[in-house]
Amino acid sequence: MLYRTAGQFKTSYIADQALFPVKQDAFLLGIILTLAWIVFPLTASEFTFQTLLIPILIYALAAMGLNILTGFAGQLSLGTGAFMGVGAYACYKMVTLMPWMNPIVAILLSGVFSAGIGVVFGIPSLRIKGFYLAIATLAAQFFLVWLFEKWAWLYNYNASGAIQVPNLEMFGVFVSGPQAASVTEYYIVLFVVTLLTLLCINLTRGNLGRTWKATRDMDIAAELIGINLMKSKLTAFAVSSYVVGVAGALYVFMWKGAAEPNVFDIPLSFQVLFIAIIGGLGSIMGNYLGAILIVGLPVVLNVVAGTQVFEISTPSAILLVALIAAATFLFWVARSLWGVGAAIGFGAVTLIYGYAQLQGFRIDSALIEHINVMIVGALIIFFLIIEPHGLNQLWRLIREKLIIWPFPH
Amino acid sequence: MKHFTKLAAAAALGTVLGTAAVAQELYTPNLAYRTGPFAATGIPLMNGQADYMTLLNERDGGIGGAKIDFEECETGYSTEKGVECYEKTKGKAIVTQPWSTGITLQVLPKTNVDQIPILAPGYGFSPMADGKVFQWAFNVPSGYWDAADMIVQYLEQDGSLEGKKIAFLHLDHPYGKEPLPLLEKLAGEKGFELLPIPVGLKEMQNQSAQWLQIRRERPDNVVMWGWGAMNAGAITEAVKTKYPMENFIGVWWAGHDADLKLVGDDGKGYKSISWSFPNPDAPVMKELKERVFDAGLSQSNAEEMQGVFYGRGVVMSMILSEAIQGAQKNFGTAEIDASQLRWGLENLNITEERLAELGMAGMVPPFSTSCANHTGHSGGWMLEWDGSKFVKASDLLTPNTAGYSDLIGSAASEYATANAPWAVNEECSATN
Repeated sequence: MLYRTAGQFKTSYIADQALFPVKQDAFLLGIILTLAWIVFPLTASEFTFQTLLIPILIYALAAMGLNILTGFAGQLSLGTGAFMGVGAYACYKMVTLMPWMNPIVAILLSGVFSAGIGVVFGIPSLRIKGFYLAIATLAAQFFLVWLFEKWAWLYNYNASGAIQVPNLEMFGVFVSGPQAASVTEYYIVLFVVTLLTLLCINLTRGNLGRTWKATRDMDIAAELIGINLMKSKLTAFAVSSYVVGVAGALYVFMWKGAAEPNVFDIPLSFQVLFIAIIGGLGSIMGNYLGAILIVGLPVVLNVVAGTQVFEISTPSAILLVALIAAATFLFWVARSLWGVGAAIGFGAVTLIYGYAQLQGFRIDSALIEHINVMIVGALIIFFLIIEPHGLNQLWRLIREKLIIWPFPH
Repeated sequence: MKHFTKLAAAAALGTVLGTAAVAQELYTPNLAYRTGPFAATGIPLMNGQADYMTLLNERDGGIGGAKIDFEECETGYSTEKGVECYEKTKGKAIVTQPWSTGITLQVLPKTNVDQIPILAPGYGFSPMADGKVFQWAFNVPSGYWDAADMIVQYLEQDGSLEGKKIAFLHLDHPYGKEPLPLLEKLAGEKGFELLPIPVGLKEMQNQSAQWLQIRRERPDNVVMWGWGAMNAGAITEAVKTKYPMENFIGVWWAGHDADLKLVGDDGKGYKSISWSFPNPDAPVMKELKERVFDAGLSQSNAEEMQGVFYGRGVVMSMILSEAIQGAQKNFGTAEIDASQLRWGLENLNITEERLAELGMAGMVPPFSTSCANHTGHSGGWMLEWDGSKFVKASDLLTPNTAGYSDLIGSAASEYATANAPWAVNEECSATN
């Protein structure tokens, strides 16, 4: 009903190949863009910017870069963290050597360096694939982090070995560093992320994207139909590392403000890989959904645990109830009883927790942290069980069912 | 429902009584780490800090009539969580305690903009001692450069260091690299050879390569800047390679009882410089036991309360409460704000008499701060492991700060230029 496609006739090939063949998709995206560009910046607090909005966007971008390589071109990589580091250090060197440089230009250029390094470390992919390639990229991970530690020129011979973001100005407004307002940083991140998402969507829909997918699905067959595997694999490494490098530059310049080499170590690579896998390999939207789950959810749970459930303001209560209702409805449409149970269960647990709070129940922050890790872990397993292909596939299923709703097929 | 009625009743009462009602509270959050790879060392420190604040709340009803809300925000020693906690608490916090060097590095520039004092007792960035530049940062009562200087002084007591070889075993991380500039300077002045041996974060538990190098180079002393799992790793490895323990000295974070208990008698002679000393006979410890521990308000245990780290946690909270008290007296209000607490931290004067009054004699050396000196440079004692606990092995050592005040000044101004525009305290006329 909500997604009824009846009456939306395609009378030309162009209309049929459009980015949004279904009108509701474009409408939904419009709502999301309005929220991201207008509503959030107007309403969000400093805390929301720094712990939810900015990191989710940056992690989603990094996962998107990895997804191009692993999800679209089928080349497994464990070096994402290090490539983010290359972008961050390149950006740091550029803004300290050339302080007159526009910060956004510097961030966009820093990806070029990581693209170069990515291509170099992508050369083994011409001979090896699968797990063996993962190990080759692991070498990049270890080597680059070691280089960040040992090559003092990279961090301007700073005694502590860390890079610290200077206050950068653009048209008289601080855009980076401790003096910058969160909302400015958010808009820059949003601008860069929107730009690169647009680029990635179009690349993966175009000729290059098709060669990548052919390489992924069966490289011998792809070669037989005339696809140059070297070109296909190396362009995937280049584009992927470019996006990842830009994400790394944003990560340090627009969010963290300072970084030591071990920030870019393997846990970061794994985190980005998990976002890509849980979001859905071979998708663009999945990266956002994955980032919301892995980066955003722990923060939200922490906040929920720390607030008095029965003392929250009316708008947030309405929002919470609406979210639970929407999740229940969507899972119900998708005929996923587990999902319905989980959504209702979440609401019930919140109510019980709130009641326990009224009775004077308090948990200390260390215990909250332990429980939080368990919940997030359980949710990851839960989503992978109900939909092994990731959140993006889950949404596609729901959407398909919505189109024919209320009739089961 | 009960809650709402209570709330309504309180509101009604408040309107009736007019001025009374709202309980005065001081919010001093602690970015604790009771989880993660460093939890073993974090827990006793956090317990010591929290217990002292609980004691003040229970015994005196807070400080100056205002209760202390010493809420913990769990970071697990992760920088990302640390920044999350900082953002979450900064709204009403009058102080922030970031704990890890990584979190300190990130929060330091922000506090200068947000105008919240950052209290980093015995850790953080050594140039924070320059209070004119780092007007919101305090690493009382001693910084890492003080520690390095005191260790060198202690070694010098056995004769000149000319021609000796000192290995510097350190975590390859901003924290471990922190004393390097000073040690290099001292090596040049005193004529000893400094041999830095980094231990990567991944090699903390397996330091065989580093200790092989130590065995080959045969240094006269090993100075260690370790943290978490690295300390236990180094100490067990030293025992295994039969390195003479009396020549092995650690910084104050490398003097954790549990790490030494692993080797017991074999660790006899291991030393650690420290600005705090656990004095189980001190009156305050007795009170903590009676009013907090026995009352079931503590997460600690009897064994932990004897240790160095628990005692250090207690001292840290004492420093904060003294600053709060000083500020309350000066501004004549119980509910001080962040900038008033900054004044309090800048005008700390912890004398022998005051320590005796607090029941903490001998637990920390007396020290004072000023607007130019945000560290206090209290000095400390060399502690020695006697096989079952740490005992004092030296008289009070005081760092020779005059020898490196230039280094502090230049490092601080370098930081300020790199972070320009950086607000400095122009009014301060005192010298360091």
